[in-house]
Amino acid sequence: MKQNQIDRVWRWQITASAAAALLIACLLGVGFGPVNLDFGSIIRTLLGLPNGLENEDRTLLLELRLPRVVLGALVGAALATSGAVYQSVFRNPLADPYLLGVASGAGLGATIAITNGGGDLHALLPIFAFLGGVLAVAATFLVAGRLFADPSTLLLAGIAVGSFATAFQTYLQQRNSAALRPVYSWILGELTVANWDVVKWAGFYILIALAVLIRISKVLDALMLSDEEAYSLGVSPQKIRMIAVAAATLATATAVSASGLIGFVGIVVPHLVRGLTKRATNRSLLSIAFVGAAFLVIADLGARTLLSPAELPIGVITAFVGAPFFLFVLRARNRGSQ
Amino acid sequence: MINIENLIVRFDNAEVLQSINLDIPEGTWSCLVGPNGAGKTTLLRTMLGMQPYSGSIKYNDREIAKNKSLNIAFVPQRPSIPAAMSVAEYVMLGRAKLDGWGKESAHSRNIVHEMLEATQLLGMQSQLVNTLSGGEMQRVLIARALVQEPEVMLLDEPTSALDLHHQISVLNKVEEIKATGVTIISTMHDITLGAMYAERIIIMQSGRVLLDGESHAVIHSPELRSAFDDRISVHQLENGRPVIIAAKRELTI
Amino acid sequence: MFKRFTRPTALLVAALLLAPLSPVSAASTATKYPLIISSGGYSTTIAKKPTRIISLSPSATESLFEIGAGKQVLAVDSYSNYPKSAPITDLSAFEPNVEAIIALKPDLVVLSVDAMKSMVVKEALEKLKIPVLMEKAPETLAQAYKEIEVLGEVTDHTSEAKKVTFKMAALIKSIINRTKKTVKITFFHELDNTLYSVTSDTFIGKVYKDFGLINIADKAAGADSYGYPQLSAEYLLKADPDVIFLADAEYGESAATVKARAGWSGITAVTKKNVFALPNDIPSRWGPRLVDFYRYVAACLTKVKK
Repeated sequence: MKQNQIDRVWRWQITASAAAALLIACLLGVGFGPVNLDFGSIIRTLLGLPNGLENEDRTLLLELRLPRVVLGALVGAALATSGAVYQSVFRNPLADPYLLGVASGAGLGATIAITNGGGDLHALLPIFAFLGGVLAVAATFLVAGRLFADPSTLLLAGIAVGSFATAFQTYLQQRNSAALRPVYSWILGELTVANWDVVKWAGFYILIALAVLIRISKVLDALMLSDEEAYSLGVSPQKIRMIAVAAATLATATAVSASGLIGFVGIVVPHLVRGLTKRATNRSLLSIAFVGAAFLVIADLGARTLLSPAELPIGVITAFVGAPFFLFVLRARNRGSQ
Repeated sequence: MINIENLIVRFDNAEVLQSINLDIPEGTWSCLVGPNGAGKTTLLRTMLGMQPYSGSIKYNDREIAKNKSLNIAFVPQRPSIPAAMSVAEYVMLGRAKLDGWGKESAHSRNIVHEMLEATQLLGMQSQLVNTLSGGEMQRVLIARALVQEPEVMLLDEPTSALDLHHQISVLNKVEEIKATGVTIISTMHDITLGAMYAERIIIMQSGRVLLDGESHAVIHSPELRSAFDDRISVHQLENGRPVIIAAKRELTI
Repeated sequence: MFKRFTRPTALLVAALLLAPLSPVSAASTATKYPLIISSGGYSTTIAKKPTRIISLSPSATESLFEIGAGKQVLAVDSYSNYPKSAPITDLSAFEPNVEAIIALKPDLVVLSVDAMKSMVVKEALEKLKIPVLMEKAPETLAQAYKEIEVLGEVTDHTSEAKKVTFKMAALIKSIINRTKKTVKITFFHELDNTLYSVTSDTFIGKVYKDFGLINIADKAAGADSYGYPQLSAEYLLKADPDVIFLADAEYGESAATVKARAGWSGITAVTKKNVFALPNDIPSRWGPRLVDFYRYVAACLTKVKK
């Protein structure tokens, strides 16, 4: 680096480290649990080499552990990236992916499916939850009045829509107490019993959404400036906001349908990456996705092993990490503005 | 040369700009003055391509709406301040016009360095923008606009949030920029300052241009007083410099 | 001399030898494996006689031990506290941890349909070649007996299981006959102090109905599709039940706390001291201790003053 040059805004090495962290997290994730598997055997099994795991251990790895880790990675990436995007779009460092009513809408969708769906609930549920999430966000935009409403109006509309969805959900549960346990079970998420079917449909939507977000990540930086400045630099900020919110909503709605409500990932991970790299650019999105994935895989490992044979709900772990982190971020902001 | 012909802009069926005609020569500094709601900011935003319009806005005979290659920079009155972004990173955003988004060439990293030096911001390049004072932020906004290497620079009330000392230094800086050939258009509520620096003044009222021309002539015109409903009075200092101040209306009973 | 004893001896020996072949002996009702059996709405295939059973249903645990299959039980969940000799572990009945279950290498898992994600847990275990027997909370006595008999067939204790259910049915019948009153008695079954109750659609509700009791919660049946409505305090005061059964005694409720509630001191059940705290667990165990529940209700009713 020459003396009269500004430091690079982003380096590929950072993204590569994040990817490596994810790989390590996944290895740890498939190796540990109530049944511990040997790392060497795991790698040989995955690569199809001889001397891999046999019989029940092999089934355990391939049918139980691996889908669980992959789902955890997908959901972690989805939540972290959506959170980062929402923080940019709403210019609010405390924004999280559930802002526009996605979570409440998905919960309502799931409850409607459980209280009314007869037959194959297991297949219907994710669709209802997903539709609920997406429709809630659409309702938020409708309530806000204009498609390109300003961030604070959208936030308030999101709160209103979310409250309504939650109220309706509570009413349905009150009238159908048999639904209480399945709904609670849904809220806890599917990570504990992930199978390849869940991974397939969740992966499909999450990867599409992530691809869109990472593709526009560079242009998202234009949202850091005022709308006029963005235009002067050749970007239509409203269009970018719409695409970003749509993709982030898709990712979040899918994540919620597959894993229930897991909090803090969407807020903590973006700040973690930005804090460590000391960069605010949205070019960090891919790294945020990797780190979010690794974060959730490790949290899930904790959920699975800390109180074995019981399982800690993964939301408890993310909260235990997230809450103190929140305080740390707030204090850093206060110090910064002095 | 910027040629604006018969420009009409509508918001919800009201004509916010009514048939504007202006010719702005290259490398000059024009100051838009007028009461609130005159349409000054709307005119700037239309030039950026943010508003649909009828009529034409041409830069060197090419319609700017169709020709996206016009390098036009905007310095806002109130910036949106992103949390946790350093001064260097913020200024670097301006290079997106020339480098494309998400790429920074070694050349760009040089230019930003030079610009931070020229605006005395180099020492705070790692400081977060949300910790800056008003004057410092204004310098950052100008630095960000400059690294774009614009042909035209629009400034919306560049001095409104600054103390007198900073107002002068910002306007001096803009004058330096103009000297390199950049066409400057600014809106200013302080007409005295505007008259000190800009060679052209454009008076707007209720979506119309009342008068535009060389500063000295426009300052002393009756159109200026009528644009402000005769609530201003124009005086001249010994060295010939005009001073425009608010005039208290006498109570007539 | 020995000739005189040979015929009776021969008959005795023959009788002894032939006894095991009689119709009511165990050998002819032995379970044939592999066994395909339906339980809880699901079909399960059991390849051989299970000897390493993990029971994740407290009711099933009680039944298994009662029918003599206790030796075949490897581990039971954390709530299976009866009988005391059951090998209790930390395994969760309501949030089953597939990996923890697998680690114990069972050859049969008894799982409640109401457990969290029971279907997916079942699929996961079956993928690992562990058969899963699903248990559903019974809605009638006949269903409860059937569940015990299914457990009997699965563990090759079919005849013991039948004996257990016959005995249960006989006991329950005699208890009811002894206690049934001609006078109409109204009651309120309290699930918690926010006044959740059970209607006669539920299993517990039906037990009370067998005694001829009148359930004040039946009027609120429309409030919950499953039979667990929440009553309002006003309705309760108006209905003025003769008897109150407390299912929340383990959460601190008692005749004294009920009496202290605003406006409750005037209720007939309170003034006539007909507030009874149900023992923990028994109302929710649908195994052999169902009889104890009937006994307890009968005992309460004999104390009821009207």
